Amino acid sequence: MARRLAGFLVLLLVVSICEAAFLFQPISDSHRSTALELFTPDHGSFKSLEETYEALRTFQILGIEKKPDLTATACRSISETVGSSSSTAKDLFYALKANSIAECKIDKKASKGIISRLKAAVSGASSLLDFYYSVGGLVLIKDQSSEADVHLADAEGVFRSVKAFSQSDGRWRYSSNNPESSAFAAGIALETHAGIVSLASSEIDQSLISTLKNDIIKLFDSIEKYDDGALYFDDKLVDGHEYQGPVSTTSSVLRGLTAFAAVTAENLNLPGDKILGLAKFFLGIGVPGDAKDFFNQIDSLACLESNRVSIPLILSFPSTVLSLTRKDSLKVGVSTVLGSEVPSLTVKLVGAFSSGSKDASLVESQELNFDKTSGLHILNDLPKSIDVGSYTFVFEIVLHEPKHEEVYFKGSQTKVPISVTGLIKIENSEIAVLDSDLGSIESQKKLDLAGKNAISLSANHLQKLRLSFQLTTPRGRSFKPHQAFLKLRHESKVEHIFVVGNSGKQFEIVLNFLGLVEKFFYLSGKYDMELTVGDAAMENSLLVAIGHIELDLPEAPEKAPRPPPQPVDPYSRYGPKAEITHIFRAPEKRPPQELSLAFLGLTILPLLGFLIGLLRLGVNLKNFPTKPLPATFAVLFHVGIGAVLLLYVFFWVKLDLFQTLKILGFLGGILVFVGHRILSHLAAASAKLKSA
Amino acid sequence: MGKLWLICIASISILLPFLCNAFSPETPTDRRVLVLLDDFAIMSSHSLYFNALKSRGFDLEFKLADDPKIALQRYGQYLYDALILFCPSVERFGGSIDVAAIVNFVDSGHDLIVAADVNASDLIREVGTECGVDFDEDPSAMVIDHIGYAVSGTEGDHTLIASDDFIKSDVILGGKKIEAPILFRGIGHAVSPANSLVLKVLSASPSAYSANPKSKLSTPPPLTGSAISLVSIVQARNNARLLITGSLSMFSNRFFRSGVQKAGSQTKHEKSGNEQFLTEISKWIFHERGHLKAVNVKHHRVGETDEPALYRINDELEYAVEIYEWSGTSWEPYVANDVQLQFYMMSPYVLKTLSSDKKGLYSTSFKVPDVYGVFQFKVEHQKLGYTSLSLSKQIPVRPYRHNEYERFIPAAYPYYGAAFSMMAGFFIFSFAHLYSK
Repeated sequence: MARRLAGFLVLLLVVSICEAAFLFQPISDSHRSTALELFTPDHGSFKSLEETYEALRTFQILGIEKKPDLTATACRSISETVGSSSSTAKDLFYALKANSIAECKIDKKASKGIISRLKAAVSGASSLLDFYYSVGGLVLIKDQSSEADVHLADAEGVFRSVKAFSQSDGRWRYSSNNPESSAFAAGIALETHAGIVSLASSEIDQSLISTLKNDIIKLFDSIEKYDDGALYFDDKLVDGHEYQGPVSTTSSVLRGLTAFAAVTAENLNLPGDKILGLAKFFLGIGVPGDAKDFFNQIDSLACLESNRVSIPLILSFPSTVLSLTRKDSLKVGVSTVLGSEVPSLTVKLVGAFSSGSKDASLVESQELNFDKTSGLHILNDLPKSIDVGSYTFVFEIVLHEPKHEEVYFKGSQTKVPISVTGLIKIENSEIAVLDSDLGSIESQKKLDLAGKNAISLSANHLQKLRLSFQLTTPRGRSFKPHQAFLKLRHESKVEHIFVVGNSGKQFEIVLNFLGLVEKFFYLSGKYDMELTVGDAAMENSLLVAIGHIELDLPEAPEKAPRPPPQPVDPYSRYGPKAEITHIFRAPEKRPPQELSLAFLGLTILPLLGFLIGLLRLGVNLKNFPTKPLPATFAVLFHVGIGAVLLLYVFFWVKLDLFQTLKILGFLGGILVFVGHRILSHLAAASAKLKSA
Repeated sequence: MGKLWLICIASISILLPFLCNAFSPETPTDRRVLVLLDDFAIMSSHSLYFNALKSRGFDLEFKLADDPKIALQRYGQYLYDALILFCPSVERFGGSIDVAAIVNFVDSGHDLIVAADVNASDLIREVGTECGVDFDEDPSAMVIDHIGYAVSGTEGDHTLIASDDFIKSDVILGGKKIEAPILFRGIGHAVSPANSLVLKVLSASPSAYSANPKSKLSTPPPLTGSAISLVSIVQARNNARLLITGSLSMFSNRFFRSGVQKAGSQTKHEKSGNEQFLTEISKWIFHERGHLKAVNVKHHRVGETDEPALYRINDELEYAVEIYEWSGTSWEPYVANDVQLQFYMMSPYVLKTLSSDKKGLYSTSFKVPDVYGVFQFKVEHQKLGYTSLSLSKQIPVRPYRHNEYERFIPAAYPYYGAAFSMMAGFFIFSFAHLYSK
């Protein structure tokens, strides 16, 4: 349970500031616009009659003009349901409920049929919901047409059989075979009981009603509470099947309670602050985003507004932030939960306390003036004792006419957080560089913290920097802001922040650079100075760049800490890189072609010289064999040599090594054979010549 | 009957892997989101945000954070594509979920939205730390800004901040400029400067600081100025996307509908920028923007169409790739002018910006460098807010073959001449030597 409570508080935190005092605003226009958003029919009609009823009811309470087509389509589905014989008690119940707002014409015959069917359902009912739908349906018929005979003959018997589901703790069970009891069912049962009482043809036994009243008192004992005084009912989470959530549960109880209070003449004796607590709960959930919750909230608030127990009054504040400088006046509105008019009354300011302290009240009790045109209660001038800051104001409502005391519940006292703001005067602001040992002032400069400053100072690690200023509130007292920071930012974006402390009126900070060199990571250079003074009560909170100071710090020793890495700008991290093109190797330098050709010519020259030499020597072919066989071999031998040389040319031009070797092998074989023959012939010839 | 069962089980086991996966280019739709809440009341108080998600086709499943039945995976399969943690005060998750399970969930490419709040539990802080952000350690600290606060008639402590220091990125925040400031109330966090995956989407103003508004400050607050991040996003290396913020109330209907006027400014906006900002950023988180895929990588020699197995040095080649961006419903051509191709071996030899035809096709042509070895075509496209594209394809480059060199070099004519004149001389000499008398 504690977890659920904590969870719901998160939601409440959205709505109100977590402080000792809480603010609740009555229903406003934002509810109206949300209602139109939430209850939008798909294709002209709602999914079920239950939803149709919820939409119609919400619009009715909030005073939103119904769209005609909404009523028309609603009427069509209502008459369909009423006319059909197969519709269940639940369908009939919601059809009749929707009809109570849409006010369509229902066929008389059909309505007679319904009455008999509902009566049969009442007598045959076995579970709480059966009773609820059938009795509820009959009550609705009774309200809509006075002629119809809807009286229950055995009202007391029905009353007892519904009462049989009740538990000792004031909760109800859904049926006799379901042991789980719930507060949601209790609300339904109360509404059913109220219906039975109004349908009874004869008076119901008073003792039955008084036991029911006891049940209500017991039910209220199990009410749960938030820190802000809001009260609500909730059921234990059992398997989640029938669990409805605190909004639905509280709403159901409240509906039952109002219905029951309406039919019994007696006072229910419920304490008014319980009712106020429930009102606070429904106002505290703000504007729900769920259609069901929204309907429950609005319907419950309407119940609270029209109930016969007591109508809670809510204090509302157009503004709880008041400016002393603008001389804002404190305005208080009083209304019911739905924001409607209230009888004449006076709002009294009983006390004002500085938040966080438990001192005596700062103001004397005084009444607020009522302004007829705006309908607000106004305190024109804040008392002199109220300075800037946050306060808790305590208000009390005094009703003018004593008879209203019974109808309305005003709560004992209402605590409201009020912030008072004002322009803070900044004076005597100056900045100075001091010599460390003597404390003598080396250079001192005045600052204008409201305007622009561009001060440039320089200091070394043996000196000190002093910054001082004074703050005064509009009432002339000294002011201590929540935020008073001096920020020094090095060129490399390393930042150092110091809190400016105060001694009495004077705010002063002295930076002794000797003790700070390590903290400054021995980074010499330009430091930009920035002063931030701010507070929730200060209207002229400021962030000013004072200027810069050139610091001359000693060299960093080896083990000095390195400055932390600074965040990289995300925009520079991405983006296209510079293009790279490959630089190709430059081709080798070659001589001009003419030169090559000239050298080609030169290489031919030795051959020419060789030929000329041969001619000069008188070379002849006289030794060529004359006989046909050796001559043939000689010719073949030289043709072979020529072929091998030609093969080399072909090798150079096109053939590869393997082809060349193949041909060379063939040519070589022939060449060896014919070469051997011709050479041996020539050798024999020359040997013969020698011997001869 | 038994047969029917078998078919049933078989079809389920075949379908199961496809039922729920992280964002994948193959099946980018059908996204199931688990929303963990402290209380079901948040469903109603934050319904506008949830409805915006539902209307975009997300299937939200709401559970209490300490529900003992919650689980992220079953039988090794993830049941959800994304997780929303709207449970700032949960001390322990129910079921099988813990911080390690959430980290594994993100590590397998799933998306996560975390909203902390004042008095956030250690568990949520730990989740934040795992995501790369550090919330202010002081449990009661809030972001306070005495200059950039939102003017309000009822709230005087300047913890309701109107911030408009957005990241400049159309892909993250949508093309439409967010005019109205964002309402924020909650705790600040810092992002580590060493972490390049975290981006500050919404930063506090220079005058902001993070402290307990009710106690007096004696030491400088740990977080000040624009170093405070209000909303951060993370894009992990596996393209999982995360949103971390220190305010749950910024998602609430009340903040969505509330008007906003920044202190010191005369313009009063009818509606805060929260709805636009958070809806746009949720589109980014759920990959409806900025998710790229590259298909049809092609390369070939100029004048050919087939992809060769290897290139020779100094070949002219053409490279083309198609890049598309997921728009939530379809793959749209990605238009940019900074997609770059690297021809890479140890370091890029060629780095060229691809030219786009605005229909998703990026192409370029260049000459293979005269260095042989095993190269890679690399497209490393990293852009703020986009998923990183990293394509690489290995391709060897060979030198010239022996017969591919130039054959008859004029400069060598003297050598040829010398050889042939030698051969001619030998031929003549053979006659003169053998037959001369």
